[in-house]
Amino acid sequence: MLQVATDPMHQFQVTRLFDLHIGGVDISFTNSALFMVIGVLLIIGFFAWALSRPQTVPSRKQSLAEIWYGFVAGIVKDVNHEDGKPFVPLVFTIFSFIFVANMLGMLPNAFTSTSHIVVTGTMAIFTFLLVVVIGVWKNGFKFLKVFVPSGVPWYILWFVVIIEIFSFLSRPLSLGMRLFANMLGGHVALKVFAGFVPQLILGLGFIGGAMATVLVMPLVIGVTALELLVAFLQAYVFAILTCVYLNDALHPGGH
Amino acid sequence: MGDDLNERIAKAQAELDAQARPSKNAVDGPGMSLGFRMAADFVAAIVVGGLLGFGIDALLHSSPWGLIVCLMLGFITGVWNVVRTAQKANRAASPPDGKAQ
Repeated sequence: MLQVATDPMHQFQVTRLFDLHIGGVDISFTNSALFMVIGVLLIIGFFAWALSRPQTVPSRKQSLAEIWYGFVAGIVKDVNHEDGKPFVPLVFTIFSFIFVANMLGMLPNAFTSTSHIVVTGTMAIFTFLLVVVIGVWKNGFKFLKVFVPSGVPWYILWFVVIIEIFSFLSRPLSLGMRLFANMLGGHVALKVFAGFVPQLILGLGFIGGAMATVLVMPLVIGVTALELLVAFLQAYVFAILTCVYLNDALHPGGH
Repeated sequence: MGDDLNERIAKAQAELDAQARPSKNAVDGPGMSLGFRMAADFVAAIVVGGLLGFGIDALLHSSPWGLIVCLMLGFITGVWNVVRTAQKANRAASPPDGKAQ
């Protein structure tokens, strides 16, 4: 039992809730999928409930929904200005999903879907492909200007182009890795620090309990608070970078 | 609700939009999110360089030169990414007409 209590990686185990095979493909419903579904239902449910009877002077719940929406719309507006209007729903969806999935992961015994690179990587690759598709669709061959920054002397331009291509290719990795690594690392740190408490008590008895109370618990509280902040910030960073990358697709070369 | 009020709200919003200058600060967000971005951008560029070099080597049987060259290019890209993000943040933080010290 102690083994389970102190193993920091146990919480990331994907388990099957029920098996599902369609056409030889294993698409079993896992705990990760369950918490993603819960997150999506929570978002839809909250907004349906909060905006069920919209008023000109908003009630508290309506106000919360409007602040949430206004925050995301504000990001898009600051980065993309007027051109970003069609992308507000997309960025809103990405932000809300990551934010709620991260926050659900902070609950005891909950599973953090965003701590798996399969989930974050899929979102990052989707964003990356979307940028390429929109860039080519809106600008055609001019989209390649994204690799050629203006105002660079010709004799180092070829080198800058290589660097820009590397930089462009590293975007999906950077986007997916940051979210996944932060959630994974944060939860491992939290578990390890919290695991000190039973270990100290079992190992040193009363003295250990006193040490755990004075030394470890404040640390655990601090790390929990930090994790809540990180859960929000990661969703914010993902949303803002989606906007920044979309801006490149809409205005290639205009850094 | 009357359309009159909606019209007034739309008008007031348009006036606010006209007044509000695009705040460059919001592009980069709080400092901590900037830090997350820099760290991940730096590492991701090196990893991409390594993967690309490994792939080129596997295709062209040029081991280890593709890996060496692409890893170095990835490292340069990583540093350049961080420098560029920092420069953008500095420019946004300094007043528009103030000269950088």
